[in-house]
Order: sequence, then structure tokens, then C-alpha cells
Amino acid sequence: MRLSLSFAAALFAAAVSAVSTTGNRLLVILDDDGDKHVYSKFLGDLKSRGFDLSFKTPKSDSLSLFHLGERSYDHIIFFPTKTKGLGPNLTPNLLVDFLNAQGNILVTLHSNVAAPTSLAALLAELDIQLPADRAGLVVDHFHHAADNSSASAHDVLLLPPPKPVRSDVKDFFSAGAGPDDVLAFPRGMGATLGASALLNPIVRAPATAYSYNPKEQVGALTADDVFAAGTQLSLVSAFQARNSARLALVGAAEMLQDAWFDAEVTAAAGGSKKKTLNREFAKRLSGWTFQELGVLRTNWIEHRLDEPGDARSNETNPNIYRIKNNVQYTISLSEYAWDSWTAFAVPDNDDLQLEFTMLSPFHRLPLSWDTSRSSEAASAYTAHFRLPDQHGIFNFRVNYKRPFLSNIDEKNTVSVRHMAHNEWPRSFVISGAWPWIAGVAVTVAGWLAFCAVWMYSAPAKQGVRGDKKTR
Amino acid sequence: MSAADPLQVLASAGKGESTRSVLRVIILALIAGAAISSRLFSVIRFESIIHEFDPWFNFRATKYLVANGFYNFWDWFDDRTWHPLGRVTGGTLYPGLMVTSGVIYHALRALTIPVDIRNICVLLAPGFSGLTAIAAYLLTNEMTPSPSAGLLAALFMGIAPGYISRSVAGSYDNEAIAIFLLVFTFYLWIKALKQGSMLWGALCALFYGYMVASWGGYAFITCLLPLHSFVLICMGRYSTRLYVAYTTWYALGTLASMQIPFVGFLPVKTSEHMPALGIFGFLQLLAFLDYVRSAIPSRQFQTFLWLFAGTAFGVGLLGLVVATSMGFIAPWSGRFYSLWDTGYAKIHIPIIASVSEHQPTAWPAFFFDLQMLVWLFPVGVYLLFQELADEHVFIVVYALFGSYFAGVMVRLMLTLTPVVCVAAAIAVSHLLDIYLNAKSPENPDAAADKDADGKKGGKAGLKSTNKPLVGIYAGWVKSVIVSSFAIYLLLFVMHCTWVTSNAYSSPSVVLASRLPDGSQHIIDDYREAYQWLRQNTREDAKIMSWWDYGYQIGGMADRPTLVDNNTWNNTHIATVGKAMASSEERSYPIMRQHEVDYVLVVFGGLLGYSGDDINKFLWMVRIAEGIWPDEVKERDFFTARGEYRVDGDATETMKNSVMYKTSYYNYQNLFPPGQAVDRMRGVRLPEVGPQLTHLEEAFTSENWIIRIYKVKDLDNLGRDHASAVAFDKGVKKKKPAKKKGPRVLRVE
Amino acid sequence: MRLLPTVLSLLGCLSTTALAAAGGSGGAKPSANLRKLPPGERFNLFHGKATASSAAAPLKLVEADYRALVATPRDYSVAVLLTAMDARYGCQLCREFQPEWELLARSWTNGDKQGESRVVFGTLDFNDGRDVFMGFGLQTAPVLFFFPPTMGPHATPSSDPLRYDFAGGPQAAEVVHHWIARQLPNRPHPPVKRPINWMRWISTFVVVTGGATASYVAWPWVLPVVRNRTVWAAVTLIAILMFTSGHMFNRIRQVPYVAGDGRGGISYFAKGFQTQYGLETQIIAAIYGILTLSGITLAVKVPRIADPKTQSIVFVAWWSILFVVFSLLISIFRTKSPGYGFAVPPFM
Repeated sequence: MRLSLSFAAALFAAAVSAVSTTGNRLLVILDDDGDKHVYSKFLGDLKSRGFDLSFKTPKSDSLSLFHLGERSYDHIIFFPTKTKGLGPNLTPNLLVDFLNAQGNILVTLHSNVAAPTSLAALLAELDIQLPADRAGLVVDHFHHAADNSSASAHDVLLLPPPKPVRSDVKDFFSAGAGPDDVLAFPRGMGATLGASALLNPIVRAPATAYSYNPKEQVGALTADDVFAAGTQLSLVSAFQARNSARLALVGAAEMLQDAWFDAEVTAAAGGSKKKTLNREFAKRLSGWTFQELGVLRTNWIEHRLDEPGDARSNETNPNIYRIKNNVQYTISLSEYAWDSWTAFAVPDNDDLQLEFTMLSPFHRLPLSWDTSRSSEAASAYTAHFRLPDQHGIFNFRVNYKRPFLSNIDEKNTVSVRHMAHNEWPRSFVISGAWPWIAGVAVTVAGWLAFCAVWMYSAPAKQGVRGDKKTR
Repeated sequence: MSAADPLQVLASAGKGESTRSVLRVIILALIAGAAISSRLFSVIRFESIIHEFDPWFNFRATKYLVANGFYNFWDWFDDRTWHPLGRVTGGTLYPGLMVTSGVIYHALRALTIPVDIRNICVLLAPGFSGLTAIAAYLLTNEMTPSPSAGLLAALFMGIAPGYISRSVAGSYDNEAIAIFLLVFTFYLWIKALKQGSMLWGALCALFYGYMVASWGGYAFITCLLPLHSFVLICMGRYSTRLYVAYTTWYALGTLASMQIPFVGFLPVKTSEHMPALGIFGFLQLLAFLDYVRSAIPSRQFQTFLWLFAGTAFGVGLLGLVVATSMGFIAPWSGRFYSLWDTGYAKIHIPIIASVSEHQPTAWPAFFFDLQMLVWLFPVGVYLLFQELADEHVFIVVYALFGSYFAGVMVRLMLTLTPVVCVAAAIAVSHLLDIYLNAKSPENPDAAADKDADGKKGGKAGLKSTNKPLVGIYAGWVKSVIVSSFAIYLLLFVMHCTWVTSNAYSSPSVVLASRLPDGSQHIIDDYREAYQWLRQNTREDAKIMSWWDYGYQIGGMADRPTLVDNNTWNNTHIATVGKAMASSEERSYPIMRQHEVDYVLVVFGGLLGYSGDDINKFLWMVRIAEGIWPDEVKERDFFTARGEYRVDGDATETMKNSVMYKTSYYNYQNLFPPGQAVDRMRGVRLPEVGPQLTHLEEAFTSENWIIRIYKVKDLDNLGRDHASAVAFDKGVKKKKPAKKKGPRVLRVE
Repeated sequence: MRLLPTVLSLLGCLSTTALAAAGGSGGAKPSANLRKLPPGERFNLFHGKATASSAAAPLKLVEADYRALVATPRDYSVAVLLTAMDARYGCQLCREFQPEWELLARSWTNGDKQGESRVVFGTLDFNDGRDVFMGFGLQTAPVLFFFPPTMGPHATPSSDPLRYDFAGGPQAAEVVHHWIARQLPNRPHPPVKRPINWMRWISTFVVVTGGATASYVAWPWVLPVVRNRTVWAAVTLIAILMFTSGHMFNRIRQVPYVAGDGRGGISYFAKGFQTQYGLETQIIAAIYGILTLSGITLAVKVPRIADPKTQSIVFVAWWSILFVVFSLLISIFRTKSPGYGFAVPPFM
């Protein structure tokens, strides 16, 4: 199912020569076209990567996410808009439907602009909490840019390049960046993430940062007025739905603006001017969000009987096996990076696992790289094992879900039957059966002998007992 | 009416042996025809369709057999039932029925008669009922010299409702052929016993094997024949004939029965089969003693021998008991044990007690199924006591145990019916033979000495038959009896026809109801729903329903089911019961684990259809409670006053159970607000119906009898279903603002 | 079970005395500091009491002991049976269950003298702990409460007791044992040991031997009866008539003998096809018997009557009986299953 879908997606992508795996129709939501050139570099990069952009204002009636039940766009970017809500065409339910239809969304916020209610509601559904009144400013008195207009406000954070959330997660966003490069996060709004497994912070606030509402919380604020502080504040967050639709939340829309793409900044701690990473980061972030990065695809799955000398071993993907058969399972995966499918390599300290399960896994085996069947564009992982001594309807299941990688959840159902009546060893090869076989033989022989003797013995004279016996 | 004509014909035209036999053949053919045709009501009324539940499995299995050949059938692993366990069907069924119809099918094909396998399955039972009538004829002829008795027995057997109930066209069940095999095996046994012939014994064993291959009820034969032999031995009637007949039957029959995978080694392992084994050994002993006795004719020695035999028997019995208690021999299996200890099943095996055909029989059922035979039956048994030959002893023993079992379990009425027919036929024929005797005795004193052979049995016989048989003097007496019994027989025939057409000819798949104006209205919800499943769901969509409907879903909708009427795995059934009895949140993981796609419930509230799931619900709860006493409690489904209610006062557990929600979901919308009424339970339902979160309604049949729900997938955005539903309904998610206590922090 | 409110009202006057008794016997003061004791010592105290003599368990509690016993925190489990043994309350179930309960408690406590399973069995009678009953708002007795430990290795999150449900009438000790054992995973479960019932063994032995001797002595007289065919025939017929008239149904379903119809009269025949009363089946059996008898007479007796006149008379008598009774039977059946269309005179 998912296999065919991703194939279709791939074909479609090829047809329109787009770089994204799920299409190139990108909708940009702006207040007015005037804002366009503020983001010209960012949008230009997108255009150059093959997206065709269409700009709409939230209230425009020509805007509709679906046409005849099909998505009319593949991706959406929300830039900050003044309007409180986003009108009838961008209600939270519509946006959820858009995600469920495998559309991708990039949401950007700004500290001066209250986030639209419908976006707030959407994020709430995804278990992302925005500050009260959907407005807030993240400041940090230690890691702010020292040399810009509002240096006193400490509201331009300079952050180290994002590190991967976990050690076994591939690093998508900071690749190539040195440890002392900085990422400028001007006048942004921070969010807190719930415990949902589908959520991941990309950029966290430094331990010394906190968020407050400049309009209301003037003067001193107490600990429990603070919306969130430190690493609990997620400045850039990623959400990937079960169907691999992606949503990224950028706390500061300004960091995508031309002004910050190649601005030179100096840290509050001093030091020399440095060029910000923003442009590269924006590219990678949008690339991930719009399915250009970390997209996994199952090319094919193959399981077969692995019994030497058994004719059925040639049959691919049979739907029935026998208990205690030896079987082989191979799955071929590819990963999409920017513009091409490449062989997917599982990180070193991670495993791609195969489960053979009925109600609960009977086997859980690591799949090993099969060089003979791998290529540049696809890597094959394989496992040999012996089926359990239990008949039933089993599933070959590969369930590989990792942060920032699209979900692989493949399920192939096979039946495992019992021994057929002619698959057991014959009685005469079982040594334990020999006494009984001998017994049978003896009985037969004895009976024949008895008959012979009986025939020879003369019939008794008094007929009574004779014919009583012969009856 | 065919009830009367054989008698008149025999009486008048019956001259010469040849004509008689020709007449007999014709009459038998007529009776067989009557038997078959009286079973075709359902085909004529509805169509050629398989009935009820189990037949649907047999039908499916037969199709598989015909399609894939015998060996594949033998090794059949069925992955469309008991998902995900599957069922080793080939090894857990009685193949006799399927193989029989398979053979017929191929035979007809060989004769280039193209016939649909379905029609063979539908018409198999009537066809075999004709054979059963003939078997009854043969068996009865072994009992009495009177030729009319056999014909009467055949007639009774042909049309007795007790047998028709399981053999109408379309009820394609094991009993369809098993009853014929039962009667015929008994006939062969009697034959073997009378002649002490190995040939007949071997034939008996052969048909016993066929019976074992066809029906679990073979244990009835396995217990009855040894019992008969034992009684004979106790009556001091041991003879070489008995020895030959029994040993032949037992040795060959046991071997034959062990060829059936489902039976396997049971004949030497379980208690049901131990009597046969014991008697077998005991007979060997007796044969030896008999030989010794004939060799050494000494009075004391013989008494010593008999004592020895008795003690040996006792010791054997003791050994059996010990072996059972120590576990070498499996104790009585639940079904059989519940026949003796009648309270057992209700406490220990609710799954057996829950089946309606395992309920005890009330007297109306007896009368309904046997009408006047029910009192003619003892008369016949009494007559058999006159000269108590070995075969008569058999009928007596059979009568006793048959009536006991029939009293304990409704379905065993089936095993009682044959002996009832035989005995009743003997009684009636005896009456008629006496009262139809054209010539009367002239005068008393002449009659007294003329009738010398009237003395039957003498002192050993019955007190009533000590006087010589005189005969009937007055002609009018004869005419009265003849006419009255003609009327009774007529009435009997009418009764049977009426019962068959009204009670036993509805294929419970299609319900027929009468409209106010008397016209017939067909309620076809089952097939509607199964057709919907067949056409609108994935080929491998798993359907969860209560086990009653498993076979039908498998047969008609061709979709995998979790449980079905072959209740081999109590835990799995209890799992379904638990899923039905728990709240959605609790049962959703269970359904996910079992990959359930759809939930099917039967709801009779709109139509007042009594056989619905809400009425069966308590059984589900009980069965589930048997496995998870802490999670499912029957008590929680009763109100504080101990009532089982579905209306507003129903307990919370009841209202939250999946079964309740799926049954009553949206039901109130059919009525004006507050007017919702459950016509089955006859109660008013609360104004607001139940809300579903983890399930969504997929299909509801025309009369709401079948309701199908789809099990939702996990939420795409990782929310729980309740909040997802709330969001779709447009309920604003309240802000987690100003939360009290420590804030929850996210940790990677 | 019997509703207790009536009892309470009935006890209104006795309440003070009951309480006094409780205070007197239990000693409210000692119990106060008893409750202060650390759980370990409390358990040792009660367990010591229970194991003091083989018949000490289950502990006969009074309210004060009870409160001390179930006071939290506790590192042991408590199984308390709240019962009302006093004859005034007429609690049949309590009296039936009491011996089973004592058997269970004793065999458990004696089987576990070291107290490894850390369970204390106690019985609290209504007279000694009225307020406890009130506290639980109990309407019925007996009630078996199981208090899980709140600390220690086997502690459970909730300290409130589990209630055993006596819905199925008086329970055997084994059943309750199974229930308690389920609440105490991975701890020893001393099995229920039923004392050997010597009396029964002896009596059965006596009966068997006596029967054997008697039959041996009376053999010459017994033998003809055993050999008599008429006797056997009679027995067989009676058995058959009994079974075919639905006797087993009565045995299994315990149907009432007769039931009153709504209007104060007695209805002999149950409404409905699937039900019957005890008397009903007897009537039916009688009818079958008469019909059978007449059938036998017509078939066997009548043709053996030598005198034509008597023969005709006997015949007419029996035939008319047959005719009438059969029609009666059918008419009865019509009442059972309405819609049954057939009838023979005279009962049309």
C-alpha cells in the first residue's frame, strides 16, 4: 500500500522534474505581496530547487487547499499574518485534513505578531503549546547578538548549530557547520512540546533563555508567570505524522529573511563578527519539511523458502509456509537526498529489525546489509531464520520509525501450516517403532501359520463344535 | 395416505411370496419418496439454500474438497478462521459428510450429469433420510416376524419430526448421514449377533467406521453395543455368536475409527471408549472359561469359575478407575460428562451450556417430535419383553438410554427417534395383526385347546402372556380398532407434515414473518449484510463477531473471522467476549492485536428479534469471566437490584461495553426524541444514545438486525481517539493554561 | 442473603448493648495504641494469636481489633469475613459458609506458620462491629473483604479492600482459596486441607458389607425377583415414561412444582413451549402411562380373554379410555403450543 504510494509519488515527481518526492506545488501564505521580497532569497532558493510557488493571502476566496477531494497544493508555508484567524479556507480541520492527505506545512511565527488562532489550534492538536495569547518573545541575556539595532533588548539569539536529538539519529540540519558557527534567531516565539513521540525539537533554546510577553508582562515577572525557559523552549520544532506528512515550526520568521541570511553578527560574549548559518539552515529545514531530505522508500520486499533442494524455494513471496521451514527475508530501502535516491544505510549504533509476529513477535532479528543485491540507489537488508514450531497466520513486519526519517512500517502476511500427513518420517526409519512393526509381522505370520495348520487338521467328527468354530 | 395403504394391500392382494416381495419393494420406494418429498418445504418456499450455522462450514469444506482434492483436504490448514491462530481443519473435522457428497459429485460428473455442488449438499439429507427409512425397515424385520412392522417402522422413520428436524433439505449437517449409519450399523450388529457371523460383524465394523468418520455421536454406538453385550452376559446368555460378533466388530471397528485424524488414539485413551475395551477383554475371559467349563464338568468348579469371572470383572473395573484417576486414561470429555452430571456444564464449561441445543428437553418437545409414537413406544418395548431374544434386549437397552439422553439434551432426540419408530411400529403391527385377522375363533372352548402354541415364554415369560392367545371374536371390535388406528395414523401423518412445514423448514438465514394481512414477509438481513461485506471490504478484512456467526461469515461473506462455531479454543472465544464486554478504550488494544478490521453485531431491538447479541451478551461475559475473573465481572452487568437492564437504568459497565454501544448506536434517531423503544426487551431507551470513539459505523442492514462497525486506525497525528473525535466535532481544545502543580517537562 | 436494614431497625434497641459489648470485649484503649504499633509488630501479634492454637484462625475480631488490623500502613494482607451469625438475622448463607471459611483459614494459617504469605484471617460478626457494616454501607451479609498491603514488597497502589462476591450462593473453601491466592501472587498458598471424614467411610463400609451379607442371605428370595421378567418390564416402562415426560428437565432446571396464576388460583400447566412445572410432568407421565397400559391391554390381554362377552366389554372399556385420554393429551398440548390445529373428539 505504502509501497505503491511512494512509487506513485516517485513517478509523479519524475514527471514534473521536481526535487521533492511528493510534488512541487508550494502555497505561500502572506499578508500582502509586499512581504514577498523580504523573503526573496529564501523563496528564490525554493524556486531554484524546482518548486512552483503560488502566493495567497489568507482571506482570498480563490484559496482552497482541496479540489474535488484532492490536494491542490503539496506544501504550504505560513508567514506571519496580522489577521487573527485565517478565514474559512484555512480552518484547523482543513489543515489537519491537509496533513492527513500527506501535505507538508512550514509554519513561521513572529514575536510581534500573534499567531493566528487556526494555526494555534492546529499546533495544539499536534501537542505543541504556544505562549498565552499566542504571543511571546524569547530573550537570552547571555547568548544574544551584541551588535544590532536592538542590542539592549537581547532578543536576537545566537545559537550553536543544532545537534541531533539523539546519538543514533542522523544529523540533517547542522551538516557541514563548524562548532563555532552561529544561527541567528531574531525576535522569535518559543513553543513547548508535549510528550508526543511524533514531535522533535530541532533547535532548542539555550539554558539561559526564557520567554515572556512584552506587551503584558512588563517589569519583573515571577517564576510561574514564565511560559517556559531553558531547553524546554523549542525554537524550531518538527512534527512528522504517521503517514510521514511533515510540519515544521519556526519560531522566528525573521531568520528566513534576506536580512539575516548573510548578516554578520558578534556574540554578546564578544569575539569576532561571524556570518550566520541561516541560509544553509533554512535550506535544510525547508528541504526536510518538503520531503527532500530523510525520505525513505521501500523498493521491494521478498521472502522465500530457503530449503536447499526444495523446488518451492524458487517461488517468491509464497503466502504459505510450513512450521520449522527455513526462510529468507529481504527488504530493499532507498533514501532520498535533495535530488536523487541513494542507498539507505542504517546508522552504526542502530538496527533495522525484522519481526515475525502472531499476536506477539516470535522472532525479532536484526537485518543485515546484503551487498550482493544492493546498488547505488538501493540497499538490500536480509535475514535468514527458521520459522517457529507454531502454525498460524504470521506477519513479516519491519517497523522502522526514527526522528526526521519518514516511517517504514511494512507488513507481509503469510500462513504457517502444520505438517502434512506425508511430511512425517516413515515408521520404519524411526527406530522406536521397530518393535511394533515386528509385532505386526509376527502376528500376520502367526495367523497365516494357524490357518495353514487349521486347513490341514482333519475336520472334527461331531459337527457341532466344528461349524461353531468355522462360523 | 401412504400410512394405511400397505396394510390393506398386504391384507387383500398379498398372496404368494413373490407378489408380497414386489409389493414390499414398491411400498418401500413409496415411503422413501414420501420421506424425501416431505423434506423439501424449504426449497420450495425459499430456494435451494444451506441452512443455519454448521452446515455453512460443511458446505465450505465440501467446496474445498471438491476444488482441491482429497489429500489437500486431509492436510487443510484453514487460515480464514480463528485469526490469527488458524485451524488445522483437516485434522479436526469428521470428513464423512464432505467426502460422501464429494463422491456423489464426482460420480455424477463421471455420468456426465453436470450438477452444482450446492444442490448436492442441499439435497443430501433428504436423500439419506430415504435410506434411513429402509434401514429402519431392515432393523425392524430382525425384531419381529410380522412383515408389516418393518414397513410401518420405515414409514414412521421417514416422517417422524424428531428426525426431520435435522434432515430437511439444506440442513447439511453431520447428522444428515449419521442417523442412517446409526440405524444401519445397529441392523448389521443384530444380524451379526443373531448369526454369529464374522462377515456381518466385519460389515458392522465397516459401517461403524463410516459412522465415526461422520459424527461425534458415534460414541453412542461405542457405548451401546458393549452395554448390550454386558446385559446379555449378565442374563447368562453368553454364546459363541456374541463372542464372534463382538470381537469382530470391536477389533475391526476400533482400527477403522483410529484412521480418522480427529479420533486418532482416543479409542484407547478416553473413558468414553473404555466400556468397549473392557467388555472386549471380559469376553476373552469368558470364552476361555466357557472352554474350560465344557472340558471339566464339575459343579463346584463351575461356580468357582463364575465367581472368578465376576471378581476379574470387578478387578478390571477397579483398574480402569485407578488408571483414570492417575491420568493414564483421559476422563470423560466435557460434553459427555455433562450428560451424566447434568449440573457440570453450567458451572465449568459455559461454552457448552450456552448452546441452545444442549438444553434439556421439556415434555412438549417430545410430543411435538413424536406425537402418538411417544406412548406407542413403551407398548412396543413391553411387547418385546414377551419373548426376550437377544435382539429384543438390544432394543430395550437402546430405548432406556436413548430416552435418558433425549431427556437431557434436546439434540439427542435424534438418537432416540429410530428406536421409538421401531418399537412403535412393532406395537401397531402387533395390534393390527391381531385385529385384522379375518377369521375369528368359533367358540371359547374350541379356541382354548386349538391355540396351543399361544403359550409364549411360559413361566420365564410375562405374567400377562401366560394365558393362551385366543383372538378376537366380534367383527365390530376389529373394525373399531382398525378404523380408529387408521384415524390416528392419518392424524400422525398430518401432524408430521404440519410440524415439518411450520417448525423445521425455515433456513434461519432468512427469516420469514407474517404481515398483518397474513401475507409472508421475508427478512433477509443476514444475506444483505454478508453480501455487503463480500463486496465492500478487503479480501482479508478480519471480522470480529460472536462465534455463532463465524461459520456464516466464512461461508457467505468469505471473510476471515476470529472465532466460529467450532469452539475449539475457549480462550480465543473469551478474548472476543472480553472485547465485547469491555469499554472501547480497553478493547481497542485487543482488537488491534488481533488485527480486527470490522466488528459485527446482531441487534434485534427494532424488529423484536429474540436471537440477538444483547440476549446472548451474558454468555459472552460469563465465558470471558472464566478466563479473566478480575477484568470482566458478570455482577457489573446487573443493577444493584440484580436486574439485567438495557434502558436508562443499565449499569455503567453495561452502557460502556462495546456490545451495548454498537447495538444502540444512533438507534434513538429512528424515533422522535425520548420515544426510542427496544421492541425486543420492551423497554424505553435513554434520550441520548451512546457515542463511539474507536469505532465508526460502516453498515446497518435494512431491519437493523446486522450492524457492522469499522475499527479505526491509530490517529495520524498521534492523538487519542476521543480527542480526535472531539476535534472533528469542532470542540475547541481548551488551553492547558494556568496548570496547577509542577509543569510536565519533555525529556528526550 | 437477607437485607440488613430490617435487622438494623430491629436492632435499634440493642445497638447500645452491642457497642458496649464491642468496647468491653475488644478493649478500645489497648486497641488505640495497638493501632500505633508498626505494621510488622502488628502482624506478628495477630499472626501469633492466629497460630496460638490450631483452632484459633480465623481470629474472632471485635470492632477495635478490626480497626487495628486493617489500619494503614500495613505490610501484610488481611482477609476479613463480615458475617451475621446471630440467629436473629436468619442469615442462612452466613451459617452455611462459616465452616468452609474456618476450614480455609485454619488450613492456610497452619500451613504457613512462619507467616511467609503474611495474611491474617479474621471474622467480624455483625454484633461486634455494627459500625463497620455501617461504614461500608453494607446491606447484606456475608461479605468477604481482602485488604492488600500498602507497603513492603507486595504493596498495591490502592489501600481499599477488594470485595468477594457471593452471588453464586455459598462457596466451597477451595473456590475462595483460589480467589485469595489470586490476590497474593508469588507468595506461598497453603492448600485447603479437608479433614478425613471417618464417619462417612465407616458408614459406607458398614452399609456395603451389610448389603452384601443381606443379599447373600436373602439370595433365594432375591433371585426370583431379579429373574422376573415382569419386574424388569415394569421398571423399564416406568423409566421410559419418566424420561419422555420431561423429568430430566425438572431435575436440571429445578422448576417449581406448581405455580400460582395471577388470580390467586393454581396453574398446573406452565405457559410456553419451553417450560413446565413438576406437577405438569407427573400428569403427563400419568397420561402416557394410561395410554400405554390401554395399548398393552388391547394388544396382549384382550385377545387372550376366552369369553366373547367379557372380551367385548373389556375391549370397549379400554378402547374408550384410550380414545378419551389421547384426545385429552392433544388438547393439553394445544394449550402449550397455541396454533396447533389438530384435535380428536371429545376434547375438540
